[in-house]
Amino acid sequence: MGLLAVTGTDLVQSLVIGVVNGAVYALIALGLVLVYRSSGIFNFAQAEFGTVAVYGAYFSFSYWGFPYVVAAVFGVACGTAAALLTERFVIRPLAQGPKVTLLVATAGIALLSIGTAFWRTGDNALRFFDPLTQWQGARIAGVQISGQRILTLVLLAAAVAALTAFFRSPYGLAVLAASQDPDASALVGLDVKRISMLVWGIAGVLGAGAGILLQGGNAFTPGAITSLALIPGFTAAVIGGLTSLPGAVLGGMVIGMLESFGRLSTFDFVPGASSVSVFVVLLVVLLARPEGLLGGRTA
Amino acid sequence: MSAPETVLSTTGVSIRFGGVQALSEVDLRADRWEIVGIIGPNGAGKTTLFNCITGFYAATSGRVRFKGEDVTDLPVHQRAARGMGRTFQNVGLVKGSTVGENLKSAQHLQTRYGALGALFGSTRASEVEREATERARAILDLVHLGHLWDTRIAGLPYGIQKRLEIAAVLATDPELLLLDEPGSGLGPEEADELGDFLLDIRERFQLTIVLIDHHVPLVTRISDYMYCLNLGQVLCEGQPEDVRNHPDVVRAYLGIDPDAEVA
Amino acid sequence: MSATDVTRTDLPVVDVTPTDDEAPSTEGPTVAGRVARGLAWLALVWVLLCYPGNVLSPFDVPAFDANRMSEAVIFAIIGLSLNVLIGYAGQVSLGHQAFVGIGAFTSAYVVTDLTQEVVLGVLVAALVGAAQAVLLGLVSLRLTGLYFALVTLVYGVMAQQSIFAIESFTGGTAGKIAPRPTGFESDFRYYYFSLIGLALVLLVDWRMLRTKGGRALLALRENPRVAQTWGIDTKAYTLFAFGVSGLFAGLGGGLLAHRDLQVVANPFDFNLALVFVLMTTIGGLRNRLGVVLGSAFFAFLRNGYLVEKLKLEEGIGPIPGPLGAIDMSPEFAPLVFGPILLLLVLTRLPGGFGQLARPFQEWLAGRRFRWIPADDEVVVNDVRA
Repeated sequence: MGLLAVTGTDLVQSLVIGVVNGAVYALIALGLVLVYRSSGIFNFAQAEFGTVAVYGAYFSFSYWGFPYVVAAVFGVACGTAAALLTERFVIRPLAQGPKVTLLVATAGIALLSIGTAFWRTGDNALRFFDPLTQWQGARIAGVQISGQRILTLVLLAAAVAALTAFFRSPYGLAVLAASQDPDASALVGLDVKRISMLVWGIAGVLGAGAGILLQGGNAFTPGAITSLALIPGFTAAVIGGLTSLPGAVLGGMVIGMLESFGRLSTFDFVPGASSVSVFVVLLVVLLARPEGLLGGRTA
Repeated sequence: MSAPETVLSTTGVSIRFGGVQALSEVDLRADRWEIVGIIGPNGAGKTTLFNCITGFYAATSGRVRFKGEDVTDLPVHQRAARGMGRTFQNVGLVKGSTVGENLKSAQHLQTRYGALGALFGSTRASEVEREATERARAILDLVHLGHLWDTRIAGLPYGIQKRLEIAAVLATDPELLLLDEPGSGLGPEEADELGDFLLDIRERFQLTIVLIDHHVPLVTRISDYMYCLNLGQVLCEGQPEDVRNHPDVVRAYLGIDPDAEVA
Repeated sequence: MSATDVTRTDLPVVDVTPTDDEAPSTEGPTVAGRVARGLAWLALVWVLLCYPGNVLSPFDVPAFDANRMSEAVIFAIIGLSLNVLIGYAGQVSLGHQAFVGIGAFTSAYVVTDLTQEVVLGVLVAALVGAAQAVLLGLVSLRLTGLYFALVTLVYGVMAQQSIFAIESFTGGTAGKIAPRPTGFESDFRYYYFSLIGLALVLLVDWRMLRTKGGRALLALRENPRVAQTWGIDTKAYTLFAFGVSGLFAGLGGGLLAHRDLQVVANPFDFNLALVFVLMTTIGGLRNRLGVVLGSAFFAFLRNGYLVEKLKLEEGIGPIPGPLGAIDMSPEFAPLVFGPILLLLVLTRLPGGFGQLARPFQEWLAGRRFRWIPADDEVVVNDVRA
């Protein structure tokens, strides 16, 4: 009974699904880590940049007759614009205050985005946006993984590589300098405002991209990405160590797998096993190793 | 005549932060009613020593004894409960509250009443509150700042805040007072008055005082015994005049050799 | 000893006597002023005590409205609970809906499954709320503000998906029945029942703040090092704050359960947690009246009362309703305007509703009606991070 009923195939399938879903969480986590590392701010609205992107792509495609690719790019642009607006009107005025205020403020932005989506599109309207690729994908361990998901994994790897390279470049170093000491950075000639815009712009692109990748091929509703992916995403970021990019990926995989194991029928006796396991792991990691699995000191 | 009672002693206190040995083998002693002065250049570890004594830092090795009891493993508030009072370099007060509230909060340990009684306004609670207010006012009058009872700390000038901080720590009814640079920001005449004030409260409140400051003349004048710290170690100790004029001390502060020939 | 005793020539004499602008007026109000204030007080009391219950009132308030007013009262309790945590203890909880929900289910369980009186159910709910809050408080002792906020967030989500899904406790998707207390069955009577709860909470909060516990909390929130040197056990007091916060939240949850007559897990989601934080912050932290006003405002916004009474949707005659004009369904109003208000408060009006209400408060107390700028510190700024 119970635990013994799990077969090897079940486990492997869970693992595969976990990794694939984990890629999604990892993408969100990457954006979170980027912003946190650059400014110490926890951006609650990260997933909503994706939602804005998806709606932008959808509307331009379905109502304005944009060609598919253009619509997708337009969507990313919308998401990025949302990020830049947030930076200008919410982050910059409050940047000097404590980080928790900013957390609450970005949470407010997320709520605003969700509310606006509901308002403009009507309650719970289901929309459908074609996936970026029609490729059926591959079959691994008996689980069909769509082309979209494989594309997500590939783009995730690319994003990590690009961001790692970025932080080694002069621009990236400038960002880190500004995050540690904005006043000193300004004194040596770094344009702190531009740097802030750059960071949030990139975060916007990441979030927007994540949204389009996530939702392509699925029906989406207002706030969908936030409710499905934000909390696992930031748990992933925290577990991986809020300052580590590879950590975000690792964290994403861990959360993906935890969730998918939690859904195994053996754990049916624990209601909400997925979220319990996530909570327990989060607590254990934070209490035992606050810097996360791969996080170092925030220099 | 009996030997003076040792109120505070640290034996072999050392502490390490990462790669830095902030304190090494510091032995310090303050006997009852003494004023002990600690001088030394910036970064010598004076405040770190205070933090170890009061419990904000846990020393890597060594013991701290207070009134004969080993308090090395006690948390800060329990050392305070035993009579250790302390001031801070950046004015330890609740800046968002009024002077009166600060002085009443400082008497936390003296206001003894049960939580339930507090919640429902028992007579005992009201009485204790009233006593606390009276004590607070009396101490405030002592520093001649009684008229500031309802004023928020945040708007007040720095010098006034420092005096209020001393008033607050006096309200905790301490036996030992650890003062961290009480004279900072004061000119020589004000420093002089501070010295008189400290001598006065030592008498009035039967205190033992350990004092860190950069006003070397002030510290020399009022101390019964003096230490000079440098780079986390006791550079020299002894009678104030001797310490002040010691070549090592001069070298540490000024970076020159007082014995060297002037060209 | 007088203040002039020590004015020696070399001591800088600082004149810190308040100027005329700041000094409170020493004469009382005029006769007309007194009459006006008396009438205002009477009107306030009437609005609170008579209007919602259709007692001594020419208006006939439908039961549905009385029910919505109960909700406003309960939200006020929840706001005060979160205020203890954020305003007094300096910790942000993004999972407060879990505290409330656990209270709601506990009370329903005690009354339905254990067949006890509602008053006992609500009391137990409060205690359970306190206990669970203290557990979370123990976690907070080890984590700094931001990480702790995240833990509360995940806790809240977990509570909804896991704890509230335990069939025996919560009745699963069907939920749990929560009957009204005897003697307070009608919606009107229940309003007074809730009001009693609010009065109790306000009393405890007020007494706590005036005594050493409250002072200890304020000291430890702003300057924990100094608090410790004054002998305040900061850990114990942090847990104490969590306990009080949980107590109030559990009480609110219990009252909510019996108002709704049935408790289900659905409403206790993350959006609700955000609404709680928003309403407390917009109300103005550490200002009880502000928090009550802010919470009531959000409750009325959410349940459509404001939109209905102010005709924000349909408009009045030729004047179009603002919500109708922008084609916004009333249920989304809090989601959109809440954050906008929050941002306004954070950037422009740190004291929130409380700050707006201060002039009126002062006037009702017999003092001059004047604008009081917020304290130097932006209110949310001193939350430990």
